[in-house]
Parts: sequence; structure tokens; C-alpha cells
Amino acid sequence: METTYDVVWPKAPRGAQAKRPAARLDTLVGKRIAFAWDYLFRGDELFPVLADELRRRYEGVEIVNYDVFGNLHGPQEHELVNALPDALAMHRIDGVVSGNGC
Amino acid sequence: MPTVSLVCEGFERQAAATGRGLGFDDLPLALLQGHVDAQSYDDMVVSFLAHTVDQIVAGLTSPIREPEEGTGDPSALDVVASGTIDDIHRLFVMNAWSDGLAIIPPTRERVEGFIAPSGHDPWRVIGTARPSGRDITVWSVAVNAVMAGCEPAQLPVLLAIADVLVDPHYGVEHSGNTTGADALIVLNGPVITELGFNHGPGAMRDGAGAPNTVVARWLRLFLRNVCDFTADEHDKATFGNSSRVVLAEDEAAIAEIGWAPVADEFGHPMGTDAVTMARMNSGLIIGSVFGSTPEQILPYLADGIARVSGWDLTHVYGLGQGHFRPLLVLSPVLARIFGKAGWSKRDVQEALFLQARIPAWRFEKLIGEWSNLTAGRRTLVDLAADGSVPTLFGESADPDRLVPVVTAPDKIVIAVAGDPNRTNAYVLSHDGPHGDWTSKPIDRSYSTDLVCSIDNRDACS
Repeated sequence: METTYDVVWPKAPRGAQAKRPAARLDTLVGKRIAFAWDYLFRGDELFPVLADELRRRYEGVEIVNYDVFGNLHGPQEHELVNALPDALAMHRIDGVVSGNGC
Repeated sequence: MPTVSLVCEGFERQAAATGRGLGFDDLPLALLQGHVDAQSYDDMVVSFLAHTVDQIVAGLTSPIREPEEGTGDPSALDVVASGTIDDIHRLFVMNAWSDGLAIIPPTRERVEGFIAPSGHDPWRVIGTARPSGRDITVWSVAVNAVMAGCEPAQLPVLLAIADVLVDPHYGVEHSGNTTGADALIVLNGPVITELGFNHGPGAMRDGAGAPNTVVARWLRLFLRNVCDFTADEHDKATFGNSSRVVLAEDEAAIAEIGWAPVADEFGHPMGTDAVTMARMNSGLIIGSVFGSTPEQILPYLADGIARVSGWDLTHVYGLGQGHFRPLLVLSPVLARIFGKAGWSKRDVQEALFLQARIPAWRFEKLIGEWSNLTAGRRTLVDLAADGSVPTLFGESADPDRLVPVVTAPDKIVIAVAGDPNRTNAYVLSHDGPHGDWTSKPIDRSYSTDLVCSIDNRDACS
């Protein structure tokens, strides 16, 4: 009779606990929206289009552009990402659009 | 704060998996159709307005579901399958737990037996695997080591590699990035000879040295199973590289010519057992080197370094800044040509820095025209003017001037290995901060951290 084996799981549990997502906004009217960019994949062309479209659709929406937060995937990635929560608070941001992952 | 992430549609699964690794099961995404780099401006904007903007708005304003309690994952000691070796092999392939090569079934007894000689606490958490968010424990290292065919004596080497993986400087989370770079483990110290690693003929060939091969296979399995680098989750390599076996240096040759090993450049002097790792992109053979003096062989070696440096120059400036560190592997006979002439490794690095150069126009096209990785099409003169690259990159505006491919001589890493009597070299380009050179010592002493039995996990912490 052929030998059989009882094997254990080769993966590992996730130490990171499930997190509760932030409450969504009721509307974008009058809100301050930040753009956070990795300076890749044509964000410099798409974010201006998005800014115009959001302003057209939602009265009083304010855009805080990506250059305020720097290149989040460049040479200063770690320090800029670590600084992001304070920067978002300082600019009284209500929501963030980040990109681009391609 | 509500967020929405813009990703090309080919990255939807990876983005969702990254969210899970951070604890968010339902991270809002907005998809860019196709790939923006292959679209005209007009086509891109039309698609963006028609398909993506609504998703952005929904991501910021639509309720998302609450996280579910528990994952349903097995615990470490649960038996997840029983069967013959064929049954286990098929199941592991089906679940993407294996690379498809034969595995040793990781039974609890085998894993315990693998750890026991080291004295290590199996439940010690070495760190968190990125981007999966899974725990890296001695146990998870050992399970995959059993599968790979490793020997218990190799566990300290694997634990040192695990230490590299949890070091943010290395950047393991990038291990599935675009170019498919694969990790290269350079091994130094008495461990090379004592555990039988091959540093001679076929030093970089699969199977030429069993320890070199199985330790490297362990890393691939560990990246798959614990860091979740599979095509369904985090591996976005367009093509990928074959797995690289452990590169053990010829330390006798290095000592003979008075050089220091690779690990020495990263803080671990000759005589220290250490692993030094980076993720490497392209490889290029510099074959049949002809010459008996440094001056005669340097141009060919420098040409190899220049030719292998292409997309990766974005790590000189772009995705990285001064991070590009290619590796030149010299066969011992070539290294001795330098040693015989009294050249130190530093002398060789400085000579290569002067000779491994490309025209400025080519450099600029690689980082900002043929690819689109340096926003704004900035020239080397612009970058030198604001200190983003050394001044010598911007000494003139002549597009035909020659510029280095690295920012300083010591950015060229040099190793010595391979057939001792063959006149060949090999050069590998480097993926910069997406797998930056990181070195850790190997502790082969008997561990005293085992304070519990495997059955009594609670006592371990």
C-alpha cells in the first residue's frame, strides 16, 4: 500500500487585522478632494481632466492638486507617504483620488 | 478618509489583493480601460470620461461593505490534505501552493524535524510579509523549506533571507513589478564551504549546486505562499525571469587577491556568514574576455555594464534616485588580472565608472521618452541643475556627450565566482528600490528562544 501524507498549510495567517473603511461622503458638492499621484502613467494628463469634470458636476468642489503632496512613488516615497496623513489634515481634505497603478 | 484608487484594468486583482494585505477587503477602485501608455490622448480621455469618472465618484460616495469576522484560513498545525505523494502534488499545484516541480510533502513531523536541530521557536514572528500582510514565522519558513527540499542545516540561511524580506529597504512588496526582476541571493562566509554551496563552474546554473538551487527555490515558494506573489494576486511581471540560484562567492580567490566580498560593502566583513540580496532585471554574458592587463579587459567589461543598463536607468533618476547598482560577476581568472596588477576592488569600480558610459541623448530617451517614467521630459542638465543627479551628468548640453550609468563608482557591485579558469564575466542590471541591495548576517548558533512546545503555542509568546 502506498504511503500517505498528512500535510500542513504552506501559507500563513494574516497578522494584519481587518479594518473598518472610512465612511463615504454623502456628496462631492462643496468638498475638498485631493489628488495623490505616483508621477506615472499619464496622471499629469488625466488629473486635469478629472478636476474639470468634477467641477462641472459638483458645485463648490475644491481640488488640491498632486504637486502639493509630491511624487508618492519616487525617490522620497517612504517619507512622503508617511507624511501624507498630516498633509491631508493640514489641507482639510475630505476625500482622496490616488493613482495610477498600471 | 474616503479614498478611491485609479488602476489600469489589468491591475484590478492586484489592487484588491494589496488592499486585503493592508486589512481592507473592499478597497474602492476606479478602472482605466486598457493601458494608458498605449492610447492616444483623445482615446484615453474619451474612455476616462465615459467609464472611469463615474467609478471615482462612486468610490468616494457609495457605501462599502463592513469587514467580515474571521478569514476561515487554516491554522498552522491543521492538516489541510491527506493522500499519496501524487495526491499532494496535484493538490498543491491546483491551489497554487507549488511551482509545479516535485515537492517534499510538508507533514507536521517533517516540519518539526526541520526546525528542531536549530532550537528555534517555531512561532517567533520575524515580521509581516508585504504586500500580503501574512506573518513571517520560523514555522512558515520551515514549511516551505521542507517543500523545496532544503536541509535543516540551511535554516539559518533561510532565516537571514527572511530578515531581508522584512527590511523595508529591500522593498519585497515590489517583487511582482512590471519588469519581472527576480531576486539574487549572494552568499558569503564559511557557510559556503561548510554547507557545500557551489561557487565554481556553473555558479549561476540551476542544479549545479544542490544547496544553491534549493535555497533559491525556497525563496520562490515563500514569495508565492507567504507574500502571495502569484498571478492571481501580486505578481504583475509581464514576462518574469527564471529563478536565480544562490550566487556563492569564491572567497579563496577573493582572499588571494586581497579583495573584500560583496557582503563587506554592506557591513559584513570577510569571514562573516551573510546573505546579500537585490532584485535583478536583465543579465548579459561578457564572454571570452581577451587580455592580460586591467587596461586590456576593462573596455569590454565596461561595455557590458553600459549595454545591460536600459529601462533600469529610471533608478538613477525617476522611480529611484541614485539607486541603480548593477552587479558584475568576474570569474576568478579575470579578478586575478586586476589583483596581479595591484588593483583594489575600488580601483576597478572607479575605472568602470569612467568607462561604462552612454550618450546623454540615449539616457534621456530611456528615462523620459521611450518610457514615460520621468514626468515632464526633464533633461540631464535640468536634473543636474537641481541636484537630482550628480553635476557631471549636466556638464554640457551636448546630446552626444558620454554620461555614466550609475551615480558613483561604488554603485557598481563586483562579485567573484564561476569556473576559476574561464575568462568570462556576467553582468546583471538592478531594479533599484524595487529590490534594493540589503545584507543580513546568518546566525548559525543554536537558538535559545525555544521556550515552549509546538503543541503549546500560547506559551511561546
